[in-house]
Amino acid sequence: MGEVILDIKKLTNFFGQVCTATNLDLRIESGVLTSIIGPNGAGKSTLINLITGNLPVQSGTIFFKNQDITHLPIHKRVRLGVCRSFQIVNIFPELTVLENIMIPILTMAGRTWRLFAKTAQEKAGRTQAEAVLERVGLIQRKDTVANALSHGDQRLLEVGVALAVNPSLLFLDEPTAGMNPVERVRLLENIRQLSKDGRTTFVLVEHDMDIVFSLSDRVIVLHRGIILGDGNPDEIRSNKQVREVYLGDSV
Amino acid sequence: MKKTWPTLFILLIIAVLIGIGLFSGRFMIYLTIRVMLLGIFALGYNLLLGRTGLLSFGHGAFYAAGAYGLGFFSLHLSSHPLLGIVTGIAAAALLALIIGFFCVRHTEIYFAMLTLAFGMMVFSLIWNLRDFTGGDDGLVGIMREAVSFFGLIKIPIKTDKQFYFLILIFFLLSAWVVHRLQNSPFGLALAGIRENSNRSEFAGVSVKNYRLAVFVISGAFAGLAGALETLLESNARPFMAHWSHSAEPILVSLLGGLLSFTGPLVGSVFFIAMREIIQRFTENWMLWFGVVLLIVIMGFRGGVVGVLEGLLGRSRKELKE
Amino acid sequence: MLQSVAHVILAGLSTGMFIWLVASGLTLIFGVLGVLNFAHGSFYMLGAYFCFTVLKYLGANFWLGLLLGPICVCIIGFLVERFFLRYVYHLALPYQLLLTFAFVLIFDNLVKMVWGAGSLTPPDLRSLSGSLEIIGRKFPIYNLFIIGVGPLVALGLWLMIEKSWWGRIIRAASSDREMAAAIGVPVPALFTSVFLFGTWLGAIGGGLAVPYVGLLTSGMGETIIIEAFIVAVIGGLGSLKGAFVGALIIGILTAFGTRFFPAFDMFLTFILMAIVLLWKPQGLFGGTK
Repeated sequence: MGEVILDIKKLTNFFGQVCTATNLDLRIESGVLTSIIGPNGAGKSTLINLITGNLPVQSGTIFFKNQDITHLPIHKRVRLGVCRSFQIVNIFPELTVLENIMIPILTMAGRTWRLFAKTAQEKAGRTQAEAVLERVGLIQRKDTVANALSHGDQRLLEVGVALAVNPSLLFLDEPTAGMNPVERVRLLENIRQLSKDGRTTFVLVEHDMDIVFSLSDRVIVLHRGIILGDGNPDEIRSNKQVREVYLGDSV
Repeated sequence: MKKTWPTLFILLIIAVLIGIGLFSGRFMIYLTIRVMLLGIFALGYNLLLGRTGLLSFGHGAFYAAGAYGLGFFSLHLSSHPLLGIVTGIAAAALLALIIGFFCVRHTEIYFAMLTLAFGMMVFSLIWNLRDFTGGDDGLVGIMREAVSFFGLIKIPIKTDKQFYFLILIFFLLSAWVVHRLQNSPFGLALAGIRENSNRSEFAGVSVKNYRLAVFVISGAFAGLAGALETLLESNARPFMAHWSHSAEPILVSLLGGLLSFTGPLVGSVFFIAMREIIQRFTENWMLWFGVVLLIVIMGFRGGVVGVLEGLLGRSRKELKE
Repeated sequence: MLQSVAHVILAGLSTGMFIWLVASGLTLIFGVLGVLNFAHGSFYMLGAYFCFTVLKYLGANFWLGLLLGPICVCIIGFLVERFFLRYVYHLALPYQLLLTFAFVLIFDNLVKMVWGAGSLTPPDLRSLSGSLEIIGRKFPIYNLFIIGVGPLVALGLWLMIEKSWWGRIIRAASSDREMAAAIGVPVPALFTSVFLFGTWLGAIGGGLAVPYVGLLTSGMGETIIIEAFIVAVIGGLGSLKGAFVGALIIGILTAFGTRFFPAFDMFLTFILMAIVLLWKPQGLFGGTK
């Protein structure tokens, strides 16, 4: 705990004239559950896209576990241990729930270059996949086609696919949006558990302040591509600038 | 894609195919050979289209590579058919590797345009290099020598009837290979790429490499079909690389059912049958080819298999956006 | 030597302008509708055939043929878009491409049925025939005319898209279909109009080609669409500027190839395409997408 696994220096990004990341310096420490908050358009999704590889970096550097990942393609970053889930459900729609989870599991295990193995006989992979499904609460639905799931279940699957990669650093983009309270509590418990276990460091983008303040060890406030505040929940709660810009006075 | 075909049904089909070979007249044998060749072409092709979601308009180039590969080998080196076939497959795979390298880094529209352009490039090369390839006459006089194993056993394939069984073996082998591929973790990754290529990247899949791999594999099957056709007709022709030929496995797979294993096979039967019937009435088979394609796209995108499944109460299978 | 090079460049420019005319329509349709119309080459061909028919059977002059021919093609284009293409916009891309491809098969073969499978020789033009002497060798006036028409069309398109009311609406609709519909833009009708205009451009290209190619065949659509595709790849799909520049480059390159390396003329353009693909995958002027 405490060792820096992600080191971002001078990250800058422009969409045309609009600056969505301004000379950002940021360090993420392993084991510290971090939340990133900020009003819409603050640049949260852009930041995740830049770090995970969905957006090319225009200037600045990103180091993960001392390796320069600034220009690495997405799948290489994933293999090193950086992954994410999406704000809008981004799964494999016509495949079953189990297949959705099997893909990252088998890929990360290097099994997907086996042209003549039989998926049906991948016992180890299947066990791992079912474990992930148990965790997110979708085990009953494992043979359902993904786009036949309810929206809440799809959101669970969305997080499940990301978890299945077993990353060291996982960015969850509004993971609980669209979930009912039961699903939400369950997912957050899972995140808390996994974070304690220490294998995965979670960084959440969230709008729900209750989640942010109850779950996080550290809160980062983003506004117009600049880090407005960075500290533990109490510090952020009492930060005047942050209150003005984002929280209003309702906290 | 969980289809549990009763083994009995497969054995029945094999029995029928063997029966045709043993008891049918020449015309039926020829027609069935044609169905099997198209089936090999389409099965391999559908790994790319139905399974991975990539639409290539240039696979005729690989068919031609297999054909001319075997042709050159047979005319200049050795007329051993199996070696010739291997050469054809290798030539096709190599060409697919080169062309694929340029094409798979692009998606969808660019990919379709590029494969079309490269395919026609191969066509015009073959057409223009008259001295080398025989131009529009193609390569002729390719013999169908007996298959010999180290000079000890010699299996003749001279007559169509004898050749039929060689083709049958390759056909069953191809079907088996494609089936295994589809049900392998590799096949699952391909389906993932079709469903959501961005998410596949985030699952650790190097999408470009998988696309290239399946492109080469499908090209190899095209080459096999091309080589076998050359042995059948004793002739390799430039039109094998033309886009109208590249369109055949597309229509066949679409007609049969893109998202099922048996789709391309069913499609091959229908395609050859339709062509035979229509050609009795008009020379303009291509026109009707277009009309059928139109009808399938406008209303029957699940293909024949899709229609059958609909009758059985299962959902229609087509590529989704 | 200078004479050869100069004439090759002129020949390349005139060929390039034809490709530009076809590529402009293709690019317009793709840029706004997001559809790659494989049948665009067929519309070019139909433009040529209809124009030829007017010339031959109505004994009319070329300009009338150029007027009526493309109008007939537009009617066909309307039927294609309104009753077929419109219903596949929401489908996965392969189906859209295959639909336009089906029309290629249908039109190319209908032409064979209606006009015969052989080639047709158009009657001689009265105006614009003859040649001008340039650097000691004769160059056809008609080709000079074409070299003039190309940039005019480019200018006209630019003005329409940047400055006119229609241009503004189609730019809006192409960048955000739903939003445009939400503010009351009749998007389906708009798309049809763009498709018709693009088709008209292709057909005009075909009509203008009648005196130029000297011989009409049912395969002429094929060759031009591939050239248009290569232009789109080189220039950047969806960029009219790219299409114009790309067409000129291809035209001149092909002319050089035909003159100096006869067996490999098309091969040169493919090599150029491969180089551009490696160096700038989105094309010279291509944007995102």
